[in-house]
Amino acid sequence: MLDPFARLGIPRGFAIDRKAAEKNHRELSRALHPDRYLGAAPAERNRALSEAADVNEAWRIVRDPIRRAEALFRLAGATVGETSEPKTAPSFLMEMMELRESLDEAKSRKDPSAVTRVSAEVDSKLATLEQRFAKLFSAERTADAHEAGAALGLLGELRFYARAKETIREIQEAFEDAGA
Amino acid sequence: MLLEIFDPTARPRPIGIDLGTTHSLVAAVRNERPEVLLDCNQEALVPSIVAYDGEEIIVGTPAKARAAIHPTTTIVSVKRFMGRGGDDPETRRMGPYEFVTPKDGEANVVRFRVGRDETVTPVEVSSEILLELKRRAEDEIGTVGGVVITVPAYFDDAQRQATKDAGRLAGLDVLRLLNEPTAAALAYGLDKKKNGTFAVYDLGGGTFDVTILLLDDGVFQVKSTGGDSALGGDDMDQAIAHFFATTLGWEETKMPPAFKRLLLDTARTAKHALTDAETFTVDLPTAAGETRAVAITRAHFEELIVGLLERTGKAAKRALRDAELAAKDLDGVILVGGSTRVPAVRAYVKKIFEQEPLVDLDPDQVVALGAAIQAEMLAGDQLEEQALLLDVIPLSLGIEVGGGVVDKILPRNTTIPTAARASYTTQEDKQTGFEIHVVQGERELAADCRSLARFTLRGIPPMAAGMAKLEVTLRVNADGLLDVEAKELTTGIEQTVSVKPTYGLDDEAVEKMLMDAIDFGEDDLLRRRLAEARVEGQRILRGTEKALAADAALLEEGERAGIDIAMANLRAAIEGTEPSRVTAAIESLDKATNPFAGRRMNRAIAQAVEGRKLDEIEKGV
Repeated sequence: MLDPFARLGIPRGFAIDRKAAEKNHRELSRALHPDRYLGAAPAERNRALSEAADVNEAWRIVRDPIRRAEALFRLAGATVGETSEPKTAPSFLMEMMELRESLDEAKSRKDPSAVTRVSAEVDSKLATLEQRFAKLFSAERTADAHEAGAALGLLGELRFYARAKETIREIQEAFEDAGA
Repeated sequence: MLLEIFDPTARPRPIGIDLGTTHSLVAAVRNERPEVLLDCNQEALVPSIVAYDGEEIIVGTPAKARAAIHPTTTIVSVKRFMGRGGDDPETRRMGPYEFVTPKDGEANVVRFRVGRDETVTPVEVSSEILLELKRRAEDEIGTVGGVVITVPAYFDDAQRQATKDAGRLAGLDVLRLLNEPTAAALAYGLDKKKNGTFAVYDLGGGTFDVTILLLDDGVFQVKSTGGDSALGGDDMDQAIAHFFATTLGWEETKMPPAFKRLLLDTARTAKHALTDAETFTVDLPTAAGETRAVAITRAHFEELIVGLLERTGKAAKRALRDAELAAKDLDGVILVGGSTRVPAVRAYVKKIFEQEPLVDLDPDQVVALGAAIQAEMLAGDQLEEQALLLDVIPLSLGIEVGGGVVDKILPRNTTIPTAARASYTTQEDKQTGFEIHVVQGERELAADCRSLARFTLRGIPPMAAGMAKLEVTLRVNADGLLDVEAKELTTGIEQTVSVKPTYGLDDEAVEKMLMDAIDFGEDDLLRRRLAEARVEGQRILRGTEKALAADAALLEEGERAGIDIAMANLRAAIEGTEPSRVTAAIESLDKATNPFAGRRMNRAIAQAVEGRKLDEIEKGV
């Protein structure tokens, strides 16, 4: 399995130094990009291509919080995916529905300030979640399979809030377009 | 330079081609500077127009004159039809052509009727333009080597594939398809030697692209890209033509094709005139058959294109957001495309990016200049400086899953080359086939996205639902071209399926066109294969020599002797006349250098990530 953190030469953990990761990605690309191997023998060219693809995949995983979290759970030995993750807790289900409703309402009433309020709420939820992930998986100490398995439910929450953020952005864009 | 032209052993020279909607250009690096190659009349632009007149095929300026007289057999703006479906009703509204519906079993591509029994595809039309550019380059620089052809960043897989096919059909060795905005940035970047973040606003004849990219010590990294592959200066012409037609009492459906063409040409003239003039007046026939003077003011023209500009603004804002940047973070805005000459466009760009755009290089030439630089970097020896382009996929790639929903596997703006896997399972007991539908686009439903390929993975042994484990891999190479692979894992059956594009020509069809076009005899085919094998062999010899000179220290004892023998064999095979011998010699050299190549690669990785030891990295792989 690809360890995206090792591939980019950065410490394994949820909190990342984005600048450093980006810089390493760029330097690795500079060394491995297929353009650098156009005159090389076919085997070397193919190897460069797959290495470059791996480096890009690693960066795609590391830059996105959801994919990054999923990779950390996998590396800790937990199985990620709908069938293995715990069912959503009823209290969280309620919260999800309420948030969706307030967004729908703000959208139909064309109320940008209400959207901004929900957006701030989502941001703070995401920040709290990210702190929990950072604690679970840090460069100093990383969760074992048992600990990671017990925390799998957090992934669903992260996905939900990330999607909510997408929806908020779409609504805000629609407001902007209507205003312009 | 006559000697060089007629010297068959002269080293082939790489060229860059901007294959544009309204016109095309060819450029090459000469004396370490990129230069657009002119024709004997000192013209840089070749109008992208191909006229079919019986046996004769006319390209460029002479074809332009024909468009008004023979509008259905003179193909204008063919780029708009590249990679489009032959049954797409949208394409039928674009231009006064006679479209032929593809027969059963024929590739679903656009076909223009250009003679009683003759049809041509956009790939063939484009290849005629490429051939004309190739001839122009040969007159100027002698033998043409590899070529870099530019495409709009927003081109999808089918459109890219069609462009590459056109290159092959024209007998060109296509080194790379390069995104137009990236090419423009390359032309500016090497000129200015400046690090920073730039936006490229490219409004061409038929396409609009906006790209945000970062320049960092020779690496050009695309952060995000957006646009519209059916929006451009042609739409401005259409808007003016529509205004003229309504004023003159014409109904769109009742206009003869030749009049439509005349109207569009007049509209274009009006657009150009209004760059400097406040009003443009012209005499045109009314529907009733009289002649009347119609006028359009600059203010009215600007009103007509407001909606078009706003569409570009929306794409620009999204690109900035995707790059996580604000307009004020940009170090410069580069203008590309003839349509950016329109004063209203410049004013609008200044407004949305909150700064005066850069206009040092000719917006018509900047893309071709960048393509020439990239071609030289890939296959030439004239440039000291080695820049690297890190491009992205413009649209998300995904697989259709239950309920017609798209499972996005590669999100837009992913750096290429790239690969990603996704796992699926069967829905029904004893299901032995699994349909895989690959789509491109941002919408949630597959029906709203562009369908790229559809195929069925067969031969899955009957199992209970949910037991089979299907793994689909999407690979995108450095040209932005897609390759799909599907496997069933639990039974150990590995099936690799090569994708037949939904819109486009498969390899066989292109091969057949090649044969038809050049009327190959067996000897010709052999000669062509030999020439290709020789070019490849020479390329590899040069690469190996370079690697040996740079890293002799990485060689193990006795290794050099084996490599030297393999190189000598390859040289001898190139001197010979058997293409298969050249291929075999390349393979042997490949084997001989393999361990050495591995060591070089590992060291490159280690050096790229500072402070990490080689063994640590090997564990991570």
